[in-house]
Amino acid sequence: MTSLPTFQAKDFKSDLKPIWCPGCGDFGVVQAIYRALAGIGRAPHDIAFVSGIGCSSRIPGYTTAYGFNSVHGRALPIAQGIKMAKPDLLVLVAGGDGDGFSIGGGHVAHAIRRNLDITYIVMDNQIYGLTKGQLSPTSPRGLKTVTSEYGSLEEPVNPLLYVLAYGANFVAQGTPADMAGLADVIEQAIRFPGFSFVNVQSPCVTFGQEEQQVKAHRANMKSLPSLEHDPTNRLAAMDLAQQYGRSLHTGVFYKNPDPPPTLDAQVRERQHNLEGKAIPRERILDMFVQK
Amino acid sequence: MEKTRSIDFSKLTLCDALDLATIVEEEAKERYGEFAHQMEIHHNPDAAGFFKFMLKIEALHEGRLADRRRQLFGDAPRKVRREMIFDIEAPEYDEVRANMTHRQALETALNAEKKAFAFFDEAAKHVKDSEVQALFVELREEEIEHAGLVEKEISKLPPDSPTDVDDEEEPVAH
Repeated sequence: MTSLPTFQAKDFKSDLKPIWCPGCGDFGVVQAIYRALAGIGRAPHDIAFVSGIGCSSRIPGYTTAYGFNSVHGRALPIAQGIKMAKPDLLVLVAGGDGDGFSIGGGHVAHAIRRNLDITYIVMDNQIYGLTKGQLSPTSPRGLKTVTSEYGSLEEPVNPLLYVLAYGANFVAQGTPADMAGLADVIEQAIRFPGFSFVNVQSPCVTFGQEEQQVKAHRANMKSLPSLEHDPTNRLAAMDLAQQYGRSLHTGVFYKNPDPPPTLDAQVRERQHNLEGKAIPRERILDMFVQK
Repeated sequence: MEKTRSIDFSKLTLCDALDLATIVEEEAKERYGEFAHQMEIHHNPDAAGFFKFMLKIEALHEGRLADRRRQLFGDAPRKVRREMIFDIEAPEYDEVRANMTHRQALETALNAEKKAFAFFDEAAKHVKDSEVQALFVELREEEIEHAGLVEKEISKLPPDSPTDVDDEEEPVAH
């Protein structure tokens, strides 16, 4: 057994009861998050949990961390603001594929390049479930929904390839079909110093496809360690990520063995270096005036 | 042992094993409580009632194991924690549906008992302490008994009518 954790999984569970549809994948995800947080050992009041809008964005309310169920697609900018203002907080972000890769898609690239120390968990169910089953950015081509009666003509966004291409230093995927594996990748993502991304294939039981449900995941998932994938090889990770939508790979796709400094750490360093060298208020404009 | 994390079964003491067995029941109890709530908010009183019944049963089992642990080891600190186990006897979240029948609710419990049997059967093969092994064998046998009781209850129910099955929520996407 490992050493005793300071906090137990139940310490992160709030009194609010989830109201997702019975059978929803998000029930498993929140349980994995409780366990990952217990493994981390930070107190609930040291954690800020930000989400956007959607079924999965209810997650912060089901934890005892400080929660912010924010605006559709804007969880990442808010989380970045929190981290810059209070760098000692552990900042988690959660949302769905629509929140993260449609309306909020533009924020993902900038969160990655800034590299603040935050963890982004996307519950990818390939559908807009809360609004009753419209095409989402990760819906597969050909999918028939209430907004694509004859089948979608669009290729889906590939979240794994997207974040790897933008230079994310930690990229993993999990499913509630493997709870231990999911808790493990979330814990690894939180421990990683810098922006970390976990794509969770979390099925929508009401509007999702049969082949995307947890039972199908159990039958078809392939763990990356069992394939002897080297998680320090970004190109190998990108190669595997191209199979998104065709194969369900679980585990860590990429983990930079030499993590670059985070933006929050660099800002603190610069503040420290500039201490005592601050320009007097009356001379600030001089910096911007050509002499 | 894919349903556990950070537990070395070869080093389990009887105290650890009793703690493990207790939290297995605790997790199942909580899951049935969650399912009962889910069924209530979806206006399914039959399934909610059954899950509440199962919650009481699991609470009883949990209490018995906790008492046994207390009598043998007092308040010795726990080394096995909830975050180390995953759905051992707790039914899987994806097994329930908003409009599941009473029979389907019972089948969910039956699958959970079978899972618990498989877990203790496998765990017994990995332990070295003879007392722990005896406990796991005892728990394994209890799970057979519990599964038998659920099967008996299922056999008393009429089969689900085609209407019940047709009423299942079909995914819209296809």
